[in-house]
Formats: sequence, C-alpha cells, structure tokens
Amino acid sequence: MGSRALLLVKGVSSSSLPKNQLFCNFNCKSHFPRPNNNWVRTNCSTTQSSGPSLEPPDLPRLAQTARISLTPHEVEEFAPKIGLVIDWFGQLQDVDLQSVEPSIRADTEGDSFRADIPETFENREAMIAAVPNYEEPYIKVPKVLNKE
Amino acid sequence: MASTIFRSLHSHPFLFHPTALIRRKYVILYCTMRSAQTQTATQEKVKPQVKVSPHSTQSKALEKASKDYEAVIGIETHVQLNTLTKAFCSCPYNYGSPPNTSVCPICMGLPGALPVLNLKVIESAVKVGLALNCKLSLNSKFDRKQYFYPDLPKGYQISQFDVPIATSGYIDLDLPLEFGGGHRKFGITRVHMEEDAGKLLHSEGGSYSQETAEVDLNRAGVPLLEIVSEPDMRNGIEAAEYAAELQRLVRYLGVSNGNMQEGSLRCDVNISVRPIGQLQFGTKVEIKNLNSFSSVSRAIDYEISRQVLLHSQGQDKEIVQETRLWEEGAQKTVTMRKKEGLADYRYFPEPDLPGVFLTTDYVDGIRNSLPELPETKRRRYEKMGLSMQDVLFLANDMNVAEFFDTTITKGADVKLATNWIMGDIAAYMKNEKLTINEIKLTPQELAELIASIKDGTISGKIGKEILFELLAKGGTVKGLIEAKDLVQIVDPAEIEKWVEKVLSENPKQLEQYRGGKTKLQGYFAGQVMKLSKGKANPGLLNKILLEKLNAKS
Ligand SMILES: [Zn+2]
Repeated sequence: MGSRALLLVKGVSSSSLPKNQLFCNFNCKSHFPRPNNNWVRTNCSTTQSSGPSLEPPDLPRLAQTARISLTPHEVEEFAPKIGLVIDWFGQLQDVDLQSVEPSIRADTEGDSFRADIPETFENREAMIAAVPNYEEPYIKVPKVLNKE
Repeated sequence: MASTIFRSLHSHPFLFHPTALIRRKYVILYCTMRSAQTQTATQEKVKPQVKVSPHSTQSKALEKASKDYEAVIGIETHVQLNTLTKAFCSCPYNYGSPPNTSVCPICMGLPGALPVLNLKVIESAVKVGLALNCKLSLNSKFDRKQYFYPDLPKGYQISQFDVPIATSGYIDLDLPLEFGGGHRKFGITRVHMEEDAGKLLHSEGGSYSQETAEVDLNRAGVPLLEIVSEPDMRNGIEAAEYAAELQRLVRYLGVSNGNMQEGSLRCDVNISVRPIGQLQFGTKVEIKNLNSFSSVSRAIDYEISRQVLLHSQGQDKEIVQETRLWEEGAQKTVTMRKKEGLADYRYFPEPDLPGVFLTTDYVDGIRNSLPELPETKRRRYEKMGLSMQDVLFLANDMNVAEFFDTTITKGADVKLATNWIMGDIAAYMKNEKLTINEIKLTPQELAELIASIKDGTISGKIGKEILFELLAKGGTVKGLIEAKDLVQIVDPAEIEKWVEKVLSENPKQLEQYRGGKTKLQGYFAGQVMKLSKGKANPGLLNKILLEKLNAKS
C-alpha cells in the first residue's frame, strides 16, 4: 500500500506535466521529459532487484493522457527509459511499509492559508504581454472541441 | 478562525482505495408522466409541460409505456462561492468585470506560482456540509485533476477526490401543493471544494482563416462547492425542487448568491431508464445547460419520455452514454458529445497545498453560528398554524421570512401578518420589481397597522390605503392616521346623521327597498361609507342603516 502511494505521488512529478495550456497548444509537439539515466541506474543498482512487479506502461497511451505527441521513433527511444523508472518503483513495492504512515508532501509549519482580502496583481500588463495570441480583451486559442 | 489549523496529512484510511471513489448516482423512480401545472416553491414559474410527441397516438402509447419503466436520476450541483477573492490567489472576483482584468500568476498558471488557500472557502464548505447534515472529514486534502483546456491554464484543476470535506448527508424539502405536495428527504453523497475554470467563448471565424476560441480568465480559480446528490429523486419536479432547496440553503447560509442565470448554481443531471423489475441500470445520459429550475424539471421529464419511448419501441440500443444539451427554444435535449470510455483524470494529491485539518472547536463554532435553516423555519411556521402554502411562501426567501418573523416579534397576529405579506405586499413588490428589503414599509409599521385595524382605530379599507402609502413613501401608521384624519368613526350619532342624509337624498331607492328590493342595502351602505370618506365603522354603519331602512316611516 505504501509503495503504491509513493508511485501515485512521484509517478507524476511536476516536470512531466504538460506546459501551460495558454502558452502551449495542447496538440503542439513537446518533448517528453528525459529521465536522468544516471540517477535511475545508480538507484537501481543500490537496491536488490527481486523482479519488478509493475507492468511496463503503454507509452503511446501514456503520452496521449498527457496530451503529448510522440513520434514512433521517440516512443522507441523512451520506452526502455520509462521502463527503467517503472522497474525502480517495482522494487519499492517490496519495501515493508506496514508501520509507516503515508506521506503526501513535505510538512509545512505555520499559517499556510490566507484571509479573504482582495489584492490586485500589479504587473498584469507583463503577463498579458507574454500571452502568445492576445486580442483585447481576450486570449486567443485554437478552437476547442469536445470540452468536458 | 485561528482555531483552524492546516497541516500536512498524516493518515488517510480512504486515501489509496480507488474503490471508495465510486459514486452512486442512481435512484429508482416510478416514472409518472405528470403534467406540471403552475409554479414551484420558488419564484420561478414552471411552464406547462411540453408533450414529447405531437401525435396523440404516440403520446398515449408513451403514457402506457411509462408505467412499465422506472427512471434513475442523480444530480451534481456546482455552487460558486461569493468570496471576495479566488480560492488560491488574492485576485478579486466580480461577475461581469471586463475580461482578463482579474488575473495573477497563480490563476494564469505561470511557472513557479504557488496557490495559497482562502480560509473562507473552508468556512463555506463546512457551513454547507453541516447544513446538509453531512459527516465532516476533519482531515481532508486537495487533489489535482488533469484538465487540458485553456480556460484553466495550469493544465489541472485543484479539486478534492477521495477525501471530500463532507459526505453522507441529506436535505429535506416540501413539494409545492400544485405538484401534489408532500415532504421529501434526498440523500447527499458528498460535498467537495474545487476551483472554477475561466470562460471559453467561441468566436465564429472572424478575420481569422482558422476558427479560434477566446478565453477570459477572470473566473479561473474562483471557488466552487460541488454537491453530489444521492439518487433519491423521482422526476423532474423533485429534481427542480431539490435544486431550489439547495439555492435556498446557500442563500440562507450566505455562501453564494445561488444565481442560476449567472452560473453561480449549475446543475448537471444524470438520468437512466430501465424496465421495472430489471436489476441492471439503464444507460446513463447526462444533461447539461440547465439554467433555471423549470429547465431542470422540463429537461428531465423530456429525457425520461425520450428514453421510455425508445425502450417501448425496442430501440433501447439507441440510448447511448452521452452528454446531451437542453435546448430551451426547442424544449428538447440534443446530443452534445458521445462518451467513449471513462475519462482518465489521473488524480493525485496536490503537492502545493497542505492538507486541510479541522478542529472540532472550529466546526462547533461554525455549527453554533449557523442561521435558522429553511427546513427548520418551515417546521416552525407549520407549528405556528400556517398552511403549507403560506409556509412555503414565507420560508422561500430568507428576507421575507425575516420580515415576517420581525413583524410577529412586534406583536402582530400570525395569520393577519401572513395575509398582508402574501397579499398586498407581495403584489406591490412584484409590480414595482422590488425586494422586501427595498420597500419603505418596516415590520414595525406592519405590526402597528394590523393592531390599528384589529382594535378598530381604522377600518380595513383605510388600512389598505395606509399600507400603500407606507410601501411607497414610508412613515408611520400613527403619523398617517393623524395627518389624514383617518381615525375610524365609531360614534353612532355621527353615523346616524350620514345614514339619514343618504336616505333623504335617495327617496326613489328607499321606496324600492321598502317595496322588497332589499339588495339595495349594499347601495346605501356604499353611499354612507363614501360620505364618511371611508371612516365609518362598517359594523355600526350596517346596523344603523338596517334599523333606518326597516323603520316605519
Ligand atoms: Zn489570481
């Protein structure tokens, strides 16, 4: 249970999320983040592999759920790398976490909420200026079909 | 407020059990194709139901078939909270502001921007959870729901997934008499907090060769509560009344304006139909674009008939899992999008926000500050001896209820106060398009007016005149009575003088009366009242008049 939690949290690190929806048309081609091979290998080698218990992902589908286009060549290139990461998580499955409470995020002390007091952001102009396609007063984007 | 402590979550019994996430959305309903008549308990009118088929033979077949089928209905309601700022940033939110003026790096999803939760969102969610008799999760959290549309530029919506802030509640309501009346209790599956998306507007081509859409991010990040009902509703009217009661509730609580036209209260309805006796659910169809209670009611009844008709014609394969839109103009639902497989939202705990930890002190503090809720009010009014029609009218609008309550506190008779409020005052408000808070009449003066009529100081007729004066211009009952010399005349000698004057001025009618045409009494009474400028006590007037009319001359 514990290792599964970990996978849920780490499996989708913020770096693998697609970029900002305004600044990147979701059909545009973007590069799948490359896992750091050294990091993966180092960690793999330090742990005893007792055989991965996780299925390798269906990469085209994984890319589709993240709205990322991959060429067949890229799929071929990334599949083994992703597989390595999954293997590593597979090994974590074996760790006995029976007595460990799941942890979702780093603990934060003190006030992490705010009162309901409006404040206008000062540098709106700069943000608007950075929008690739802006036509007063709207942000222009490609037509969206089948929106949920 | 200080007693709410946020800290990271330590244990979550449900956190990693995906099976706990399955929501029940179904209810068994005996599909009665009742024709809606006049109005809901709300101020909105439900128009007469539109028949599915113009052909009477087909309608008859449908009517017959509907007895063999039952519908299954569930409702998801999004309530936009009326906080001054958005859920995770300090941008002010005002409906109707110029597009893209209330934005910041957080709600525009710029890299590195971190959300900070508005405490008022928690407070509102707890209020609604308590008011819906829910079990509150003292430890809950936010999750990311993957979302790939430009009206929420981050690429995900911050929501709550497996540990909503409130679960397993219920809501009580009374159906209006014109729909058969009756009390209903509908279950609430869950209430959770989330952020709204911005607005995506479709522009038709324009100067561009390719079609584009326009985005307004003012609404992006505005806090919402999603309220999921248990499937306890049986037809369109029940569903509309459920939505109306939710609106009443959030207005009473002061957490939302509940305005459907502005989209502050949005209902998505799930409906399926199956032959009675069949265990398996029919194919579920979702209906969107329901902008009023009457459209909720009519869209559901339309959709039930559509599905029953297909079933009865052996064409149930035509019912597919899809989202349909309610078309107000055509009074029908049309396919918007077929669903292909379950959407994979890839939820995971929001790492940028701490867990939501509530102390029992905090919850108790909110519980103790809750106003009297609509259901409690209705039961109290019922105990005061008011009819259900009166009860529903008075409790429908919190401000009307408050006006009524204050009037009673000032000593007014319950039934008389009700009659004045539901009668002339309501009519005046409707004509002048005013709310009860905008009229010049105060509960104090209404109580005074009722007392003045009751003790005979003024007649009911004069009372009405004074009422309209008070409604439009304000002032006091005492002041108006004095200024206009409206005190009722109860001096028999004075009334007798008027009666004699009228009789002597109408010798012909008097002769006819004494000849047997006794209906003329009303004519004489009217003349005397006119002469007294409406001030004569009607009882005395009639007594003296009769004596004089029947006296031997
Ligand atoms: Zn903002």
